[in-house]
Amino acid sequence: MKRLTSRVIAVLFVVGLSVISFQASAEKDFAEQKIVLQISDPNPFKQTLVLNVAGNLLKHYGSDKVEIEIVAFGPGLRLLFEENANKGRINSLAAEGVQFSACANTVKNMGKKLGHPPALSDKAVTVSAGVVRIIELQNKGYMLIKP
Amino acid sequence: MKISMKKFVLAAASAAVLGGAMSSAQAANWLMLQGTEKPGAAPRAKVWGFIQPEYQHTDDTRLKAGAFAGQKAIFNQMRPDLKSSSGFNVLRARLGVRGVAMPLDSNVNYFLLAEFGNNGITRQGGGNVKLTDASVTFNHFKGARVRIGQFKYPGAEEGLQAIHVFDYINFSNVTNGLLLERFFDGDGSTTAGNGTGTCTSGSANAACANNPNGPVGAFRDVGIQLFETFKQSDWEHSYAFMVGNGNGITRGNNDNAYDTYAYWSSEKVFGGKGPRRMGWKMFLWGQQGKRTLTGANNSGGAGTYDRTRAGLGTTFRNQRHRFALEYISADGMIFNGTDGGAVAGSANNAGTGTASWNVATDGKADGYYIHYGFAPIPKVELDFRYDYYNRDKDNNAGQRVFDTYTLGFQYFFNKKTRMILNYEKREAHAPNLAGGSPANQILDSIDNRISAQVLAIF
Repeated sequence: MKRLTSRVIAVLFVVGLSVISFQASAEKDFAEQKIVLQISDPNPFKQTLVLNVAGNLLKHYGSDKVEIEIVAFGPGLRLLFEENANKGRINSLAAEGVQFSACANTVKNMGKKLGHPPALSDKAVTVSAGVVRIIELQNKGYMLIKP
Repeated sequence: MKISMKKFVLAAASAAVLGGAMSSAQAANWLMLQGTEKPGAAPRAKVWGFIQPEYQHTDDTRLKAGAFAGQKAIFNQMRPDLKSSSGFNVLRARLGVRGVAMPLDSNVNYFLLAEFGNNGITRQGGGNVKLTDASVTFNHFKGARVRIGQFKYPGAEEGLQAIHVFDYINFSNVTNGLLLERFFDGDGSTTAGNGTGTCTSGSANAACANNPNGPVGAFRDVGIQLFETFKQSDWEHSYAFMVGNGNGITRGNNDNAYDTYAYWSSEKVFGGKGPRRMGWKMFLWGQQGKRTLTGANNSGGAGTYDRTRAGLGTTFRNQRHRFALEYISADGMIFNGTDGGAVAGSANNAGTGTASWNVATDGKADGYYIHYGFAPIPKVELDFRYDYYNRDKDNNAGQRVFDTYTLGFQYFFNKKTRMILNYEKREAHAPNLAGGSPANQILDSIDNRISAQVLAIF
């Protein structure tokens, strides 16, 4: 009887987790807004600006009602350097669901100039090409904003 | 001296009470602000600068006694020209560029700044434009960043702080006298009326004035500095060690001797960022070096002398309150004014001598300032500063004590542009001489001073 009870509890636990996971996914799937933010500018003020825009979007829609992905390529990739002065804000935004994508082509090219690939934030996910990632996201219904 | 110590203790006690009464504070980390850039977020070249036009006025009271009685008093004339007691001047006009030459590599940054204004930097040593800062910082070794070139040495708050956030127009007397270093050929002991060499006895003669032989030090040196800031919760602890030429700016070493500098600060950070960050900072510093005088132009005092400076203090700043207190002591190479308080190069009334700049090569001095500022609204700040300077204090006849009370008003047109009004009540006396002595009568000639300045940063 004890064994049966344990199995039932385990099954219920797994089912419960699945339901929660499905709900979270469904919430994102039914997000009111899907936005991709592009940063490809060398101007450091643009780094602050793009993070401000992401923060304002989260504030307006709520983190469960908006999907935001920041795609960095070209000179804008510096935003996702491990040592970037804005790393605290990047971590905060990532904790609220903002995704950060780093262009692999840019990483490769910068690596040639530096002699080694730049160390990136652990919040950054490398994508094959930043511009391609933006096109893919737009095809999925994302709105492109370039602050 | 007892009175001065009492004043200092009272000031310190007031500071402690004031500091304890406030719930939050502010200060800035000048080592990091001036020596580093934001990693991964600094431009290749950020052009910036500031302009400080000003007006100053004294009553031009003439010297009341001494060999130059009736002549212009140097302390009542406008710096740096010392020709008029009132007038307009563009004190500072600086243009610079800073950043990371290669944006991908945050480990190397640079800082370049030039002075176009009319002041002690540009008026001496030829040329109308002088380089004030030119440095490169290497950030490869965390714990020991390296800065090389010409830049502000780690030291007193008034000198180390960014001048464009300075709350007053003129430095405190103690900072001006002990730290804003003037470089001379000699100590001035033989130029006043010796009538030898290039000096013609009793004539107005610039060659006898022992004028500075280069720009003022501007709280800067050329050398190498190790520094770092360590963060611990909401505290920042910073250190710096530097070795420099000890020969001012825009020139090299002159005596194979080097100045050494040490600095420590601990700061509780309450919020904000940049030069007006909120926090409470305590700091301690010292510097040591030698100065070699050639005695050229019969200026006297040829030789090599020790020069030591040390200090400690605290700063505090929150939304509405600002506070600073710093004590500075000095041993050797004390800037000692001019003969009879006259404008250097002036002939005395008897036609037997010429006023020159003087240095107490083996003298001692100390002093302190206390500052309180209050911002009732963000656009307005009211300031008060008292500073005490005890010059050549071990010399009975030569000791001079200066007390200055400064009232200040600042109006901020915006964050980058403000107007500053100052009224300085200036007093001085020779404590070991009779009240009616010529020295005290001369010191009684010191006028109060009104100053107005506009500061625009871009």
